[in-house]
Amino acid sequence: MNSHLITALLALPFFSALVVLFMPRQMVEGIRRFSVFAMLVEFALSLKLLQGDYTTATYQFIESTPLVPSFGISYTVGIDGISLWLVLLSTLMTPIATYASWTSIDTKIKEYAISFLLLETAMIGAFVALDLFLFYVFWELMLVPMYLIIGIWGGQQRVYAAVKFFLYTMVGSLLMLVAILYLAAQYKAETGNYTFDLNALTTLVLPMSTQLWLYAAFALAFAIKVPMFPFHTWLPDAHVQAPTGGSVILAAVLLKMGGYGFIRFAMPLFPSASHYFGPTLAGLAVTGIVYGAYCAWVQKDVKKLVAYSSVSHLGFVMLGIVSLTQQGLSGAILQMVSHGISTGALFLLVGVIYERRHTRDIEAFGGLAKVMPHYATLFVIVTMSSVGLPGTNGFVGEFMILSGTFMSDKLMPYGRTLGLTLAAATGVILAAIYMLHVTLKIFWGPVTKPENAHLADLSGREKWVLYPLIALIFFIGLYPSALLDKMTPSVDDLSASYSNKLTLGALKMNERFLVPASAKFPMAEGEAETDDSPADEAAGAALPTRDTTLTAMQVARGAQ
Amino acid sequence: MSVWLAASPLLMLCAGGLAMMMVDAFVKEKAELATMSTVILFGSAALSFAVWQGGAPAQAPEPLAPYLAVDGLAQFFNLTICMGGGLSALLAGGYLAEHRMERGEYYTLLVFSAFGAMTLAAATDLLTLFIGLETMSLGVYTLVGFRRTSPRSAEAAMKYFMLGSFAAAILLFGSALLYGATGHTDFAGIGEAVSGGHADLRLTLLAMFMLIVGLAFKVGAVPFHMWTPDAYEGAVTPATTFMSVAVKAAGFAAMLRLLLGCFGDPLSASATAGWPPILAIVAVITMVYGNVAAVYQTSVKRMLAYSSIAHAGYILVGVVSTFREGVREAAVSSVLFYLLAYTVSNVLAFGSLIAMGSHGKEAVSYADLAGAGRRHPMVALPFVIGILSLMGFPPTAGFFAKYYVFKASIDVGGAMIYVAIIGVLSSAVGAYYYLKVLVFLFMKQPEPGAPEAVPMRSGYITLALILAGYFVMKMGVSPSNYIDLAVRAAANLV
Repeated sequence: MNSHLITALLALPFFSALVVLFMPRQMVEGIRRFSVFAMLVEFALSLKLLQGDYTTATYQFIESTPLVPSFGISYTVGIDGISLWLVLLSTLMTPIATYASWTSIDTKIKEYAISFLLLETAMIGAFVALDLFLFYVFWELMLVPMYLIIGIWGGQQRVYAAVKFFLYTMVGSLLMLVAILYLAAQYKAETGNYTFDLNALTTLVLPMSTQLWLYAAFALAFAIKVPMFPFHTWLPDAHVQAPTGGSVILAAVLLKMGGYGFIRFAMPLFPSASHYFGPTLAGLAVTGIVYGAYCAWVQKDVKKLVAYSSVSHLGFVMLGIVSLTQQGLSGAILQMVSHGISTGALFLLVGVIYERRHTRDIEAFGGLAKVMPHYATLFVIVTMSSVGLPGTNGFVGEFMILSGTFMSDKLMPYGRTLGLTLAAATGVILAAIYMLHVTLKIFWGPVTKPENAHLADLSGREKWVLYPLIALIFFIGLYPSALLDKMTPSVDDLSASYSNKLTLGALKMNERFLVPASAKFPMAEGEAETDDSPADEAAGAALPTRDTTLTAMQVARGAQ
Repeated sequence: MSVWLAASPLLMLCAGGLAMMMVDAFVKEKAELATMSTVILFGSAALSFAVWQGGAPAQAPEPLAPYLAVDGLAQFFNLTICMGGGLSALLAGGYLAEHRMERGEYYTLLVFSAFGAMTLAAATDLLTLFIGLETMSLGVYTLVGFRRTSPRSAEAAMKYFMLGSFAAAILLFGSALLYGATGHTDFAGIGEAVSGGHADLRLTLLAMFMLIVGLAFKVGAVPFHMWTPDAYEGAVTPATTFMSVAVKAAGFAAMLRLLLGCFGDPLSASATAGWPPILAIVAVITMVYGNVAAVYQTSVKRMLAYSSIAHAGYILVGVVSTFREGVREAAVSSVLFYLLAYTVSNVLAFGSLIAMGSHGKEAVSYADLAGAGRRHPMVALPFVIGILSLMGFPPTAGFFAKYYVFKASIDVGGAMIYVAIIGVLSSAVGAYYYLKVLVFLFMKQPEPGAPEAVPMRSGYITLALILAGYFVMKMGVSPSNYIDLAVRAAANLV
């Protein structure tokens, strides 16, 4: 299919940003309307992506042009059933976040609009890039607008939060860059030419010792972005300090980059290593679920509470990804979209009372259900979605993740996935506790504070940004197959080719590189129990010789 | 190719410099000299390009032959040095006029100094190496002390001069030893003697390290960097710009020619012995020290001085990577590309810093920049691009440059991968202090009562910023042409 749809999607926000750049600063309303209008056009345009053929796992709307031929860098973009939903999520949430901002942001409107438009280009670019170099460029490009959004329009501690956000992400992604370069060098050693093309690079079968290090570099970058426990400390700061619109985008889209990176890049490129690290990551994910939930429980600041609940929810996403079952993966992707919608809506709702009271302290509220009935209704609906009540979007994803983890044959032996699932399931209970706790404190009971007695209910603008999200909460909750059907072929393919490569890697490789900790390879399992430090393995194989660096390209092609 | 044509870029600078001395004596309007020196430097760049396109011979014509090269590498460095020199002349045209320091000798010294730098970069003989080094350095020593009434400037010039002379003496001593060991002063002869095993090994090694020390001083590599922060801070900012780009480029050119020409044999250039391990350690220390020390600076100018040390470290990573035969071409071209990218990025950063101040108040510290991005977005924009490029952020020239250098070192493999990892981690430290500039530009307000820096208006500086900004973005967005250029230049040396 030769279409320039994706290029158009990337170009539209970028050129709209240029247009805004040349609009006079005084045209405040003009800039506000134009930017939201451009984003809505972008959303409408992105809906055309649904017309692609998602009954196969092949990428749709592929475009490929060499950029720097001598380095093998190309502009290769495409979309499949996995990235489709994330792109749509980005194009949906950006106009909502921007439109919602126009009540609270009243300085430097022009720069704000430009930042959001550029951010949209970078986000979509990261989701559609099929060239590792291109992906890296977009990945880095996301940083600057978000950094400015937090740092310029944020709260009291904004500079600290913005710099922390930037440096955390930068450290991770620089190591990923080294890994990308190393990967390209390995490919050159195998085939004689450079490429950063994802499809070409996934045909490389690397020795285990190499994979471990490369995977570690990728996983660090993605784990920081997710963020996984213990790399999550930048998130509460960034969320609390960011303006409402920034928080919404951060929660809804930017946090999905990490999970997407794992699915799209880290696991297909380094199957054996992701298998090796799977249990560790699952452990961290469960720790994140429980830890994030407990942290959320004790927060006094509503925004911080939502931020920690994100840590908990994204723990579920990571658990689903590492479970590597079809169900777990689909659940993780669905949960990413759901979390984007419900947490985005939560941040919008928190923004509403913050604008009225200029505080986010839970203690400062109480009995708001009487004063702001409309607001309370929406808040409770979103809370239910966040808790995972059946019938809302939160339930489907979490249920699929938990059952997928429970049934996982790739992660760890059966008995232990049960423990893992049970531990993760406590996260759902804790979510109910902390979310209902905050709802209780804010909305129920008598109006104790006189300041709260006359708060205005939702304005027209606020309703308009929230209604689409509420509709989606129920739509996905009641009819998840609309999303699942389109992503299933890609997920199946991912899961199948992953298993293929694991088998292939184990067969083709020197015995010492045998994939450990696997239920499929009981012989290796014992080794992993006693010797679970990757450093030892790596030291034993410090000098990967040419014959261990196998090309299984033909075999892999045959398998496809 | 005739001798005159081959030497024309150098001759143009020489004749131009002499002509400027005459003009200086007769005209009152010194700003014309800024235009004149810019034209001379860019003209010389154009000549270099023409010579290159006309097929720069790998072997220079006769009277130049053993002393100077006119190959692609020499022409590439001519381009880089003239670009850095020309842009810093433009910056001086705005800066000196604004701060009432306009004196004609500045431009003459600049042109002669660029001449020295080009000679140094083209030197293929120990004699021309030393003459080029001294011609360049004498000009720069004077430029550092150009603000005569300022004790700080005098101190900087004195420090630079004393330490520079010391380093030059070490370099000269090394040259003498090398001559003693091999009986040759030309690089080709020395290289033959060293690889043929006719040279005294101990003498050769000692000479090699002395030569490396001398050149490491010029490029500001740790532990020979002591002069850098003071000299950079004390000098007038356009002179700082020139020092940080042209002098560094010439130093690295000489280092490449010397290391690959004289000590390119498998024994001196191996992973375990000779110069590669030593230089790799120097590179690591330089990257880490430069970046960490830059974090603690309160003056942007001093921060940029330390960042220039850090950048010398990144470039050294590329220089070290040249030792592996298969990677040599890519590694040399990565160094070339880096130097060109660093030249334009640094001109952009320093130029914007100059543009932020006007008569009576120069912008030097972070506090001077507070809120300037909000008040004067058009001056802040080039600053942001320059800073992002120095940070190595896509899609700017600096990103591709870093990427290329680290790619070369990863291609070498082995311990060089750890060097690359340390490099990227230290550049993450670098992101912190570069971000500080953006923080002050956009997210802070000046302290109440503090004098606000008012941007100057100058056609010269605007032109320099536009040119540099164009190249920074062009080399970042579509670097293919520049990479090809660097690869072609590198092919001459390999």
